[in-house]
Order: sequence, then C-alpha cells, then structure tokens
Amino acid sequence: MVGTEAVVTSAGDPARPETGQVGQEQLMALLDHTSAVIYMRDVDGRYLLINREYERLFNVRREEIMGLTDHDLFPVDIADAFRANDLKAFAVGVPVQMEERTPGEDGERTYITVKFPLVDGDGRPYAVCGISTDITERKRAEEQVRRLNAELEQRVRERTAELEASTRELDAFAYSVSHDLRAPLRSLEGFSQVLLEDYAEVLDEQGQQYLGRIQANAARMAQMIDDLLDLSRATRTELSRRPTDISALAGEIIAELRQRDPDRRVDVDIAGGLVAQADPHLVRLVLQNLLGNAWKFTADRRDAAIRLAVETHEGVDVFVVADNGAGFDMRYAHKLFDPFQRLHSASEYEGTGIGLAIVQRIIIRHGGHISADSRPGHGATFRFSLVPGPASWETR
Amino acid sequence: MSTGPILLVEDNPDDVMFTLRAFEKNHIKNEIIVAGDGEEALHKLLPEDGTPLLRPALVLLDVNLPKINGLEVLRRIREDDRTAMLPVVVLTTSNEERDIVESYRLGANSYVRKPVVFGEFLNAANLLGMYWLLVNEPVPLKRGS
Repeated sequence: MVGTEAVVTSAGDPARPETGQVGQEQLMALLDHTSAVIYMRDVDGRYLLINREYERLFNVRREEIMGLTDHDLFPVDIADAFRANDLKAFAVGVPVQMEERTPGEDGERTYITVKFPLVDGDGRPYAVCGISTDITERKRAEEQVRRLNAELEQRVRERTAELEASTRELDAFAYSVSHDLRAPLRSLEGFSQVLLEDYAEVLDEQGQQYLGRIQANAARMAQMIDDLLDLSRATRTELSRRPTDISALAGEIIAELRQRDPDRRVDVDIAGGLVAQADPHLVRLVLQNLLGNAWKFTADRRDAAIRLAVETHEGVDVFVVADNGAGFDMRYAHKLFDPFQRLHSASEYEGTGIGLAIVQRIIIRHGGHISADSRPGHGATFRFSLVPGPASWETR
Repeated sequence: MSTGPILLVEDNPDDVMFTLRAFEKNHIKNEIIVAGDGEEALHKLLPEDGTPLLRPALVLLDVNLPKINGLEVLRRIREDDRTAMLPVVVLTTSNEERDIVESYRLGANSYVRKPVVFGEFLNAANLLGMYWLLVNEPVPLKRGS
C-alpha cells in the first residue's frame, strides 16, 4: 500500500492520531483521497460538505459552495432530479442506490450514487450524504457494445437476406436449366435418330456417322447439365447431419458399379464399421464420385484394386479412397477440384470434369478437408474428413 | 387390355412427335389425344359445357405447361370424382426433388423423367405402355364414374 501512504503524505501530513481515535482531519483526508464524489446537504438541499473530487469535477471550491443548493449550481432539470433523490433518501430512511447524471465537458456523465439520511438524537433527519461513483466509461463501453451488437445483428440480417435471395436465384436458375436446356437436346438427339432410322438409304456412311456424333454430343451435354445440377445441389441443399454408415454406402455404390460393368474384375477392399456424423445424401455423392473415379481409372489394369479405409489424424477420422489406376501428374493437382478441369483426354477416359468439384464442395460444406496424392501409372489416393480437419493435415 | 385412348398433355411439338413415334414403334395401338396446355387438358377431362367427357386409359402429363401447369392439372384431376382414379403418369424433363415430391403428394401414379437419348425414351414408353395398358388393372368404368 505504498501508493496510499504517498497520497496521505501529500495531503498535508495531518497530526498522527492515537490508535482508535480518528479525528475529523483524518476523515476529511480520507474523503479527499477517494475517487468517489462525496457531499452532504441539509434538509433544504444546502451544501454542508463536499470532498476534493467534487471540487475538481464541478470546478468549485468548498468555501464558495456552503449554503448554496443544486439549483444554484446546475440546470433546473438536473437540480430537480438531485433534489428528488435526496427527498427519496429522507423518505426511505436507509441507504438507497440510484443512477444520476450530470453535464460534463465531454458530454453527459453517469454516476452510481448511494444516498443515506443522517438523523439527530430524536430520530429526525437533518442531512443527506451522497457518495457518487463515476460509471460513465463503463456506461459508454456498455452502450458501445450494445450498438456494435445491434449493428452486427443488422449486418447479419442483411447478409442473410442477400444470401437467401441469391440462393433463391440460383435455385430458380438451376430449375430452369434442368427443364429448359434439356428439351432442345432431346430434339437434337431424337431427330438424329429419326434421320438414321427413316432416311438411312439416302445418307451415306459418313453422313450417318455425323449424325451419330451429334447424338453422342447431345448425350454428353445432357450429362454435363445433370452434373452441373448436382454441383448446384451440393451447394444449395440444406446440410442435415446424421449418423452415416460409410462402409454400407460404399458397398452399395460398388455393387452398382459392378452391375453396370459386369465384365470388370476389381479387387475392392472396404473397411468395415466406417461411420461419420454427416449428411448421408451428400456423402453418397462424394463416395459415388471418388469410387466411380477409382473404378474408371483402373479400367486398364488387370489387377485393379480399390480400397476404402480410415486413418486417424489427431483424433479426426480421415477417410482414404485409394486405387492402383492411371493416376495423374501432381503438377496439375491444384486444378483437380475446379469444375470442368480434366487431367485426361475424353478419348482416354470419359467424364465431364465436374465430379471432383462436387466432392470438394460437399467436403467444404461439412467443414472438412480433402487432398489428393498420385503418381502417373501408380494410382491415386484421396483423403477427406467430414469435420474440421486436423491442423497439421490441412497445411499439406 | 385397356383400349381407351391415351391423353398426352405436352406443349412441345417435338416431344409430341417423339412420343407418338415411340408408341408406334412399340406397337401400342391406343388412340393418342394431345392437349397442348393445361387448360385444354382440363377441358377434355372435366368439360363444363356438357361435351362428353374423355375417359382415357392413361394420362401422360408434363409439368411445365402453358396457362395451367401440370401439377395444378393433377390437383384438379384428383379433386374431381369423375377423374380421381385415372392413372396419371408425370412425364417431364425435371428431376428436381420438389417436382417429384409434389407430384406424388398430389396423387401421381408414377413419375418418369424424359431421357435425352431417344433409344432410352423408346424403352421408357414401351415399359409405360406395357405396364399401364396391359399389366395394370384399372378401376372398372361403372364404379369409377
């Protein structure tokens, strides 16, 4: 308490009191060295005592203020409020706490004030004491927090409304794409077929081949439209997490692939008991694309093998889809997840180049992370998490 | 076998042609009556001016239609006792979940997405014709009307 001692000394070195006998001088020194504003007024509101903080705050000396009332010092509305609080303290008879305001150089100041009446030997009040603590900064900070919160909420509301509007637009766009872009494709494809069937005798072989190309391209564009719709759905559908059996989903997808390609011999190893808290519809799309790719890019291998397993990195489940197929050059890995990016020519492996873009969007929507590792001719390995991934892994 | 006509509600003339061709190729001989929009379809199925009402064996209904859309047509078909039990197959380009769900909610008997490749469409039309005109047992006429 070194600081306190120093202050007392500077107050004028009052006569040292005997133990248990504190005089008026010492008490006044105490009042003068608190940061609270302390004052005493009689029943008519005339000042009897003010401390130094009061003097400093209202730029008034104690000799000048004796006998004056608040109505001599403050604007009438503020003086009225002070007087009303004094009267309340007299009426209640015990210490009461209230908030008071005064004009200040840098705007209104706020105090938390305790007032209590002093009573004489007959129990009649003759004065009121007030102790006011400046809480202006706290008030201002509270007000600032309240205003910032309100602004933040307002901004969140605005952004949410904007997002909802753009989601609705995207939705309407995807809907019209799904409906309107397919119809002309059906006509292109269908009439090519009509020509091939009904006018075969007037078309030479080359002409018929050209029609076949129109049909193949119409079908390809239809596939691209469907993939784009999947991509947009992966973004706009609501994410609903449920316990999801990854092993079972993968098993179903492999069964579908085997059914579509009954002649392929692929050694598939799906680890049992893989589960995640994730959106089952969206995770199905992820597995469909990753396993579908693994299936597609192992087509040239007689010992094709696909593996689905889990690794734990810092307590986070990281699912691994690995194959021993064509792989890709890691120099192009950064393009892998961009829509319409293909690392193989259409003549080698068919595809629209949207699958991995869909996968990445779904992983991101789950807060997870995906990475790829490969070497041409030595297969590809995809690792993904469905919750925020371990920090060490994300920086890879 | 149901020998009544098939009502095809379809506004795209190319699609009308393809559907007629697909049924012809599949040797489905039922008469095919075409309504080019929802209003025309309702006028044929639920006439309000005393015209004899059409009792098709099957309704093939597109969703995106001029004037009154397919889902509204379906709703009115199901609301009216005269047509409440008609077999209605929604045949459309959309595979949007809300169209599929709404169609079934309104009482569609089936929902088929038109394939882009004509060969697949031919196959779908064949299966539809086989199932709804041959395999399926419709509500007997007397009880239904």
